[in-house]
Amino acid sequence: MKKRLFALLLAGTMAASLIACGGPSDTTDTTPSGTQESTQQSSESNSEESNSEASNSEETTPPADEAAGYSEAPMLADLVSAGSLPKVEDRLPVEGDIFVDTKDAGGNALEIGTYGGVINLAGAGGSWGLSRPVLEGIIRYNSDGTYYANVIKEFSHNDDYTVWTFKLREGMKWSDGEDFNADDITFWYYMCHLTNYDTKKNWAALMDGEDTWATLEKVDDYTVTWTFTNPKFPADFIENGDFKWCWAPSHYLLDMIPDSIYVENPYWEKTGLDDEAVLVNAKNKGIDAATVNDLGKAIAYYWWNEDGIPCLNSYTLSTKEGNNSRDAQLCILERNPYFWKVDAQGQQLPYCDEIHFNTTSEDGQDQLMFRSGELDIMEVAMQDIASLLQDLGDQAYLRELASTNWGSYLMTFNYTCKDENYATLFANPDFRQAMSICVDREQVSGLLTEGFLEPGQCAPQEGNFGYDAEWEQKWTEYDVDGAKALLEGCGLVMGSDGFYDFADGTDFVLTIYTYTDSGADAAYPVLEQYYNAAGIKCATKDLEVSAFDQEIDNNDWYAVLGPHTAIGGVSLKSRVQPFVPIAQSAEWYGEYGTYYQTSGAQGVAPEGDMAKLVEIYEQWKSTPDTDERDQYTLDIYNLHKENLWTIAYLKAAGSYSLVSSKIHNYPELLVNDDLYQYQNIIHYWTLFKTE
Amino acid sequence: MEENAYKSESMHEDAPKKPLMTAVGDFFKKDLVQYIIKRLLMFIPTLFLISILVFFVIQLPPGDYVSAHIAALASEGEIVDADYAAQLRADYGLDLPIHEQYFKWIKDIIWTPTDSTYYRLYGSHHNWKYSFAYGRDVWDVVDDRLGLTILVTAIIMIFQYAVSLPIAVYASTHQYSVGDYISSIIGFLGAAIPNFILAIVLMYLSYKWTGNANVGLFSQEMLQNGIHLYNFGEFLKRMIIPILVIGTSGTCGIIRSVRAQMLDEVGRQYTLTARAKGVPERTIIMKYCFRAAINPTVSGLGGVLSSLFSGSTVTAMVLNMQIQGPVLFKALQAQDMYLAGAIVMVQAVLVVIGILFSDIALAFLDPRIRYSGGGR
Repeated sequence: MKKRLFALLLAGTMAASLIACGGPSDTTDTTPSGTQESTQQSSESNSEESNSEASNSEETTPPADEAAGYSEAPMLADLVSAGSLPKVEDRLPVEGDIFVDTKDAGGNALEIGTYGGVINLAGAGGSWGLSRPVLEGIIRYNSDGTYYANVIKEFSHNDDYTVWTFKLREGMKWSDGEDFNADDITFWYYMCHLTNYDTKKNWAALMDGEDTWATLEKVDDYTVTWTFTNPKFPADFIENGDFKWCWAPSHYLLDMIPDSIYVENPYWEKTGLDDEAVLVNAKNKGIDAATVNDLGKAIAYYWWNEDGIPCLNSYTLSTKEGNNSRDAQLCILERNPYFWKVDAQGQQLPYCDEIHFNTTSEDGQDQLMFRSGELDIMEVAMQDIASLLQDLGDQAYLRELASTNWGSYLMTFNYTCKDENYATLFANPDFRQAMSICVDREQVSGLLTEGFLEPGQCAPQEGNFGYDAEWEQKWTEYDVDGAKALLEGCGLVMGSDGFYDFADGTDFVLTIYTYTDSGADAAYPVLEQYYNAAGIKCATKDLEVSAFDQEIDNNDWYAVLGPHTAIGGVSLKSRVQPFVPIAQSAEWYGEYGTYYQTSGAQGVAPEGDMAKLVEIYEQWKSTPDTDERDQYTLDIYNLHKENLWTIAYLKAAGSYSLVSSKIHNYPELLVNDDLYQYQNIIHYWTLFKTE
Repeated sequence: MEENAYKSESMHEDAPKKPLMTAVGDFFKKDLVQYIIKRLLMFIPTLFLISILVFFVIQLPPGDYVSAHIAALASEGEIVDADYAAQLRADYGLDLPIHEQYFKWIKDIIWTPTDSTYYRLYGSHHNWKYSFAYGRDVWDVVDDRLGLTILVTAIIMIFQYAVSLPIAVYASTHQYSVGDYISSIIGFLGAAIPNFILAIVLMYLSYKWTGNANVGLFSQEMLQNGIHLYNFGEFLKRMIIPILVIGTSGTCGIIRSVRAQMLDEVGRQYTLTARAKGVPERTIIMKYCFRAAINPTVSGLGGVLSSLFSGSTVTAMVLNMQIQGPVLFKALQAQDMYLAGAIVMVQAVLVVIGILFSDIALAFLDPRIRYSGGGR
């Protein structure tokens, strides 16, 4: 199964990433050529080359049969008959602007489904939980990294990348039936975003230099332009993983925008409401907020968690008391009657009536519920897969989302450690090599994963962009004597207790931090034995995650097993921070990141290869050329390969789901990444259920 | 003591019976009223000290809600900058010195003025603050599960006492009989098996035998449509495991303690005297021995009100019961200090009130107990 997975990923990702990683390149018109329908085959890749590489064109499905018209779920048909809902044709965008969903994110044709039923999932989890299965973004990715317009109908840019144009789908509607148009974009930008009401004004995608932002203009009801003074290349704009949406329902949110946050703009005037008035208005709409800032975050950022706020997603949060909160034992998402996607036969999506999130309080309860038929899809830990599949027989099948992580059981060190002895030692690559080769990975694999995960290094996994077999095997050969020689080469001296000390006679104790529930606390006792055998005295400190983060923020740590913000990912275009030390987030660059984030005001100035990473990143950001960007990415990867700032002991684990046999259209093999919004790549609106 | 026992026996034989209400009236006219007032006044400093303890203990772990919140966001792939964290701390007053945070917290709970935003929004003079983790008013979060928690815990408690007291009486009056041995074995097993293990085993058995593990108190249908007459049977069916799990351990404890006390009382001289005077055995057991034997059980009732409010946390989590206990757990985990503080504070108040009630009940049960005047 793994080989198949890798082969698929390799074939897809390598080809597409190299070509489409940068998205639009030379041509200026990104409109899918000649399509009346917006299908998922309207590829992102706007060069002729990438269009052909994306291999989508021949699979374009013709528009739904106009003579047959569009059809809808029986529950909606009943409402139409009762006169409480407009006809399906009036709820969809105009002909030609409807999104025809014909393929899954892996490029496989979707089975035509039947309406009805409920998809039962486990609890929604954190702030993003409810959005994962249903969020509709500006663009949508295939699992091979290609992308295409999604909520918007088209995007394009001028020759010098200073003006980007978004065309909207005419006749598209919010989930409450109100028109979705350019006003909802200007409202979001000028009333929610530039006011920092959504707390995300720092999104790089819309920044135009240090302290200025793009100018948004409404050209007509269905066209807007984003204008920058400097070229805004795709990597920093349309492909920026943060820039997921740029709209908000002005008709619903306007009375929750206080004057206190207002910024001058050509489209929206002050609402005349003070802070208390908007809190009262929110309360009347069932939205509880302690402060105006909380309210802004709730309605302009985590809006899917508030019932009643209209959206463009396939499902909307139920307004029924008791089922309208992600904290509820049963949280319900109901079909959006105005959803703007149809299948190849013109059936309005989604197929299933509702998605249910069943909150459980303990591990294992979801398994019992799945066995009882109360859950249809459930994430499953790798050690439980075999027994569950054996028990369930043909009642369920297994699906995998491949990982883009750079390995598992990752160990990283504090290169900006306050203690000079440790900082110097960690900076020496020989020390990291010793820490890597002193561990018998085969044995670790058996002990920790029952052999499920193979030995590996902290490197892009097979099938991912930048995969390098040599890198994956670097410093992985078990050699305790070699490790000891390296440690002595680093200046450590064997003490009388059988453990190494620093040359100045002080004790060397490697304190390894872990955080609860990361799995690292279980791995530590296994690794400790290898470290001790190599003469490395170590101790562990397992902390609750917020306490752990605080230690990292305070720079009060030495080494981390299972970092909270790990190195690696799908590629720079998803998120830059996991590869380059430019934020205050990841352990592997510690205070170097703080230095860049605060423009040198705090933190530690990086030197050598750590500084080079940022230099190359600046070049990467400043080029529209896809090949050049890929080369810069590989240059950055090479520095990682050279330095191995983080070491890994095993290959990365994927994300595994058990799916009830009643569920159809669940794709076979996709990729799990923030860029794809994790579970969002499953396209839940295309799943259907049979008894 | 023997003298008292003799007197009470004599009264049984000779004194005319008082109506219950008159007895209750007499009971409260005595020094007890004074005692209750004194105890109520003691509430103020006690609760003040408890509130300080609660607030500071909740703050003991390193970090605060904002750091916990940011850690949670990071786990979801979101990167939060330092400015946002600082803004959150300022908004929630978490950047203030801890004593200032405490006084602001307690002041708003005691009285929030009419001209405050909170009063205008919620119409209440008692601002328990905002639950960060739930994004709602603290009292709304608590209130959500209060009814269910009280219902479930009350059913379980009724089960405990209804089952354990008759068994204990039977076991003590039939010492070393087969029934006594059986109840002792069950008692020991019940007390020895941790609730969460029993819960898991019962859920597994339920799944094996019925195909449904009965996770949680409600079916999906109930969670959508509520509990009605037509699905009440299903609800009771789902109550079986919680009752068995939580009820059994409590039941076992009560059986062991009441049985031991009863055996003690049954052998006392006043019992022998009563028996010698021809008092019916049933009266001796129920009116005298049993009344004395449940003293320790009644003393333990101080925690009942608090238990009604919070429910059983660990078992509730294992059984996925949506009662108050898991909310407290989540609040503590997320360092949602106002929510955790509110729950612990209310529990503390209920314990204080519960202890007062149990003291009053004890005095009513056992006339030998007095509350003033020293060793009379």
